[in-house]
Amino acid sequence: MELLNVQHLRKSFGQLEAVKGVTFSVKKGESFGLLGPNGAGKSTTINMITGLFPPTSGSIFLHDIDVVKQPKQAQKRIGVVPQEIALYQEMSAWENLKFWGRIYGLNGSQLTRKVEEVLEIIGLSDRAKDKVSTFSGGMKRRVNIGAAILHNPELLIMDEPTVGIDPQSRNHILETVKQLNEEGMTVIYTSHYMEEVEYLCERIGIIDHGVVIASGTLKELREKMEDRSRIKLTIDGVKENAADINKVLAGHFSEKEFQFQDNQLIVFHKEPQLVLSELVHSVTETGTRITSVDIVEPNLESVFLHLTGRNLRD
Amino acid sequence: MSFWWLARKDLLLTFRDKKAFITLIAMPLLLIAILGAAFGNLMKDEEVSIKKFTLGVTDLDQGVLSKVLTDEVFKKGMEDQIKLQFFQEKDLLQKIKNHELEVGIIIQPDFSKSLLSGEETRIKLVSTPDPGVKPIIVQSVVEQFAQTIPIQTMLAAKQETGAVQQESIEPKDLIKESTLSKKTKPAGSFQYYAAAMGVMFLLMTVVQGVTMMIREKEEPVYQRLQLTNLTYSHYLLGKMMGLVILCFIQALIIIIGTNLLFDVNWGSSISGVIIMTFAFVVNACGLGMLAGALIKTEKGFNVAGMLGTQIMAALGGSMVPLYIFPDWIVSVTKFFPNGLALQTYLKLMSGAKLTEILPAVAGSIALGLLFLAIGVIFLVFERRGKYA
Ligand SMILES: Nc1ncnc2c1ncn2[C@@H]1O[C@H](COP(=O)(O)OP(=O)(O)OP(=O)(O)O)[C@@H](O)[C@H]1O
Ligand SMILES: [Mg+2]
Repeated sequence: MELLNVQHLRKSFGQLEAVKGVTFSVKKGESFGLLGPNGAGKSTTINMITGLFPPTSGSIFLHDIDVVKQPKQAQKRIGVVPQEIALYQEMSAWENLKFWGRIYGLNGSQLTRKVEEVLEIIGLSDRAKDKVSTFSGGMKRRVNIGAAILHNPELLIMDEPTVGIDPQSRNHILETVKQLNEEGMTVIYTSHYMEEVEYLCERIGIIDHGVVIASGTLKELREKMEDRSRIKLTIDGVKENAADINKVLAGHFSEKEFQFQDNQLIVFHKEPQLVLSELVHSVTETGTRITSVDIVEPNLESVFLHLTGRNLRD
Repeated sequence: MSFWWLARKDLLLTFRDKKAFITLIAMPLLLIAILGAAFGNLMKDEEVSIKKFTLGVTDLDQGVLSKVLTDEVFKKGMEDQIKLQFFQEKDLLQKIKNHELEVGIIIQPDFSKSLLSGEETRIKLVSTPDPGVKPIIVQSVVEQFAQTIPIQTMLAAKQETGAVQQESIEPKDLIKESTLSKKTKPAGSFQYYAAAMGVMFLLMTVVQGVTMMIREKEEPVYQRLQLTNLTYSHYLLGKMMGLVILCFIQALIIIIGTNLLFDVNWGSSISGVIIMTFAFVVNACGLGMLAGALIKTEKGFNVAGMLGTQIMAALGGSMVPLYIFPDWIVSVTKFFPNGLALQTYLKLMSGAKLTEILPAVAGSIALGLLFLAIGVIFLVFERRGKYA
């Protein structure tokens, strides 16, 4: 059953068109990832879906609720984890969760029970009475998530919930989200870390410059790569010798199978082991020096690179 | 109900902030005390600039002291401020009724006798419903006169048994002496300043509250607030409620504090003072909410807030006494929360009853709610405006 349907979403800020016609849908119980580099338009898209501001054009439906026209109706069913920490620093984790729970309409013993349960989920029961301002970045992020799930939302929307935290907290958060999803909560997760999206999401949309350039399951996206791995050769003076290298490689590979990036030569191939020695040999013939060789299995990073010619992270 | 939780959260955060807490409670009393100490001089300079007005007098006493009060104190001593006219009681009341005269006093038959024997005396103060600060001036002069006379007469009596020597009671000295040498406070003037300062402090608290509100608007929590069940009307109502409670607490502290510490008499109608205080706070906070809804950045508000309160405080009578302004300005400033509040407090201080100030209370609350409503409408339209 389709839970969320987003059609031809656009948003302009003055001259700048941040989102240029985004279309996707999310099924109930699914976990959907929105992967894109900084400034791709992830937050802008998310903010329209959560009803924070209306789109310039396009439609958003949650079940049959028109989010653009009735944001308050939709917001009851959506939990949002904003990109920034949206908590009162001078209040404790307990007080914050109680406050947000009340604002969502919970009260009495139901509220207390829910706050305790959420503290358990985010693993902060023992620090509940401490002020948020005394927490580490990772702990704050966890409370930030906790505040979004108090009212049992059907759809949990997370905007880069792991930005700038230590690996341990990050793992904890990923585990938590995975578990929530397994218990039936539908999740939309944005990130510019492909590992997170690969780990969590059944379906993925890749967004760049306000446009979804590819979407599908991880498997489908990998197929776009025709299952080709990447061979990354870091070469001294690759730029100066690009013409020479080009000439040597042209005999062995087609244009589409290799590209230059920064000080690297990248070659796409289904069976990297077979061509590696020949490749290294050819490149050294041009008189350049290879400083490292790396083989990467097909992943979202390579899909993005393949589609845009750029890395996800710069 | 969610607005109540928002209000409660704001109160909690304010009371946790030690600096805010001290500014709220201790500062007003401190400043009023400092001003009170410096007060005598302040008033002397300003008395010169009171606009001259006519005081109607009915002297039923025709005694020694009523003559001193009317001829020496009012006529000669306050020549620059007051023009004296004598009437029969009936005519005086008629003139006031017809608004031909704004303030009058009726000196009761036993005035001199009672004063001389140290008993309580009575002078009836009559005025049009809306005379501004004039009755306060008259009242304070009469009170000071009544407080000083027994001492003066006792001193005179010691030296020269027999009749009171009129020459020894220089009216100007009378005022000065009661201000400087005796322990009694110049009630009328100090009353004025307590009310004026109190009102200004509340304005400043509103500015403080709105600053916090705008600061919150610039933070991610505001985004989260918008993503909950909270509607714009509940949001602004909650914000206002928190600030109203805060201001009301502060106002009560100022009123009770000045009363206990400096003997400031806020009038005989306690319910009137409380209800007016509440109404004023609603009015001022409503205006604050409107500003908080319209203005987006703390930087923007710092300028607008400072300027706005300074102008309101100055014209509303918190910096210089109201009576130096022409009457039309005094009338116009009734549309400022602080202007209306100060004028109503003065009325209460000069003995007005609860029923007499109800129009001001109603106007004050209505204005506050109107401001709030405009603020909500603005927020709703602002969101729609983002659809572009
Ligand atoms: N309120 C705004 N006013 C003007 N421009 C904006 C506004 N919000 C976002 N933008 C612009 O829109 C574009 C998309 O921004 P957005 O925040 O959606 O990107 P993002 O994918 O979330 O990036 P990040 O990973 O850095 O969070 C950017 O160029 C940004 O500068
Ligand atoms: Mg973002």
